[in-house]
Amino acid sequence: MQKLFRWASKWWPGLIPLAVMWGIAVWNNTLPVEADLAARSAAALKDTVLDRTRIAVDGRDVSLVAQAFSEEGRRDAVAAVENVPGVRLVDDQTRLVQEANPFVWSAERDVVRVTLSGSAPLPAMKGRLMEAARKEVPGVEVADQMGLARGAPLRFESAAMLLLDQIGKLKDGKITISDTKVSLSGMARDLGGREAISAALKNLPEGFSVATNEIKAPPYVFQAYKDPVAATVTLTGYVPDNTVHAAISAAAARKFFGEKVVDNLKSSVGAPASFGGSVVAALGALSRLSTGTLVVSDREVKLSGDALYEGAAADIRAGLGKDFPKNWQYKPEITVKPAAGPVDGTVCQQLFTEILTKGRIRFEPKRANIDPDSAALLDHLIETALRCPNTRIEVAGHTDADGEEGFNQALSEKRAQAVIDYLVKAGLPADRFAAIGYGSTQPVAGNDSDEGKAQNRRIEFLVR
Amino acid sequence: MPYLLSFHWGWLVGSLFLGLAMGWISVVQRGNGTSKVTARWLAVLVAALVGVALAHVVPGRFGYWLDLGLIMFACYLVGCTIGAWLRDIVVSRSQPAAGNAP
Repeated sequence: MQKLFRWASKWWPGLIPLAVMWGIAVWNNTLPVEADLAARSAAALKDTVLDRTRIAVDGRDVSLVAQAFSEEGRRDAVAAVENVPGVRLVDDQTRLVQEANPFVWSAERDVVRVTLSGSAPLPAMKGRLMEAARKEVPGVEVADQMGLARGAPLRFESAAMLLLDQIGKLKDGKITISDTKVSLSGMARDLGGREAISAALKNLPEGFSVATNEIKAPPYVFQAYKDPVAATVTLTGYVPDNTVHAAISAAAARKFFGEKVVDNLKSSVGAPASFGGSVVAALGALSRLSTGTLVVSDREVKLSGDALYEGAAADIRAGLGKDFPKNWQYKPEITVKPAAGPVDGTVCQQLFTEILTKGRIRFEPKRANIDPDSAALLDHLIETALRCPNTRIEVAGHTDADGEEGFNQALSEKRAQAVIDYLVKAGLPADRFAAIGYGSTQPVAGNDSDEGKAQNRRIEFLVR
Repeated sequence: MPYLLSFHWGWLVGSLFLGLAMGWISVVQRGNGTSKVTARWLAVLVAALVGVALAHVVPGRFGYWLDLGLIMFACYLVGCTIGAWLRDIVVSRSQPAAGNAP
């Protein structure tokens, strides 16, 4: 030991080169050590959930700045860095992400983009929400304005995902989750979109409820255009279902006696109540116009066009409103077609025959009440009668051979008279007309088939 | 510690060899070394530095430099001890032979 001390007392000169070596080692190794420790620390934090992580290394001391999403996660992150080999001290500057109260998240759609804003509970979930939004509205820009916050309600993600599924059904609007309350506003993209969204909201996860749902549906539009040149009636827009579709088609075929019905209707939910009945009534009014357009948009009926004569115009303006339910609006814009020039009796007769070849005046079965579907036909007869004011016209009623001859005779007379009453009510002088009933004595077809019988049941106008 | 050793092993080996050389020389070197008082003071200084290093008192890079310096110094001392001991063995073997020479 003595010897050791004696030797040791002579070791000090070596300290000088040692100090030089130490200086060179420090000069060369400080930055590599710091870089190495920073890399190891970052690797250690790879599996932890942190936001805004910043690692600074000074010598072997690591300063960790980060926002954690739970106290446990925060402690785990600090411990992970502390356990990195080589780290001497950890300067813990981690904080918990602030808690949002209320926890609000929203998705807003406008013309050009979908914007997600508010708070998301975790960075990964934020990414998943963005991805889901992009998938829902492909080709539309999705903007991320979400921050991160604690305090999300349970099952937040499934609720948000379900609501993101609805964003594609919106034309524009906003969906908001505030704690567990869901609010929706805006306009559905398609008819039925509003109903589809309402149905989807029933699947919201447990605990979530709809506070307000102010999604509006686009207007439910039905349009009909009567084109006298092409002799067509074009139906476009929506009908609620096949039954209503069939009813409207059948009514159009009955009411438009001289025009071909072009049916471009599509089926969609979202029709207002009493849609079918109102449209059929409105088509009746359109049929009486020489040219016209009918637009039914939700509960608003707009009818514009030319009536055949003044009385019909007044009748259409006044009469149709009462065919609609109370909460419907009727906006007629009816003008009168310029009167055609007067013609002599022979031409009038030709015109009557022409009109009555295209269509027949219909009555209730076995009765003398005129079917309202014949209004258009009668309007054309009246218009023609107005063109030859100096003629006398015999209105002849005919029946088929079914039933007793006496009954048929009486029915044919009553029907002829009913037609004359209609003409007189429309403003024609009563003394120009005479009603004659022929019963079934002058058939124009065989009475052995339904078709023949239908041809025999007729009203004829004869200019005298 | 294992990290420091593995990261700086080249420098530590260098310190060890420097120590070996110094120890080898110190056995046969003439003249006086440091006085006892100086040696004691140096020992106290080193002990204090070791204490400071263990307590992690010095922050940041200075702390790292201190740790590295102390470890290099420790390697140097180990080298010195081994060197001196080896030289002592060599010297004590050759001296009797020299003494017995005619």
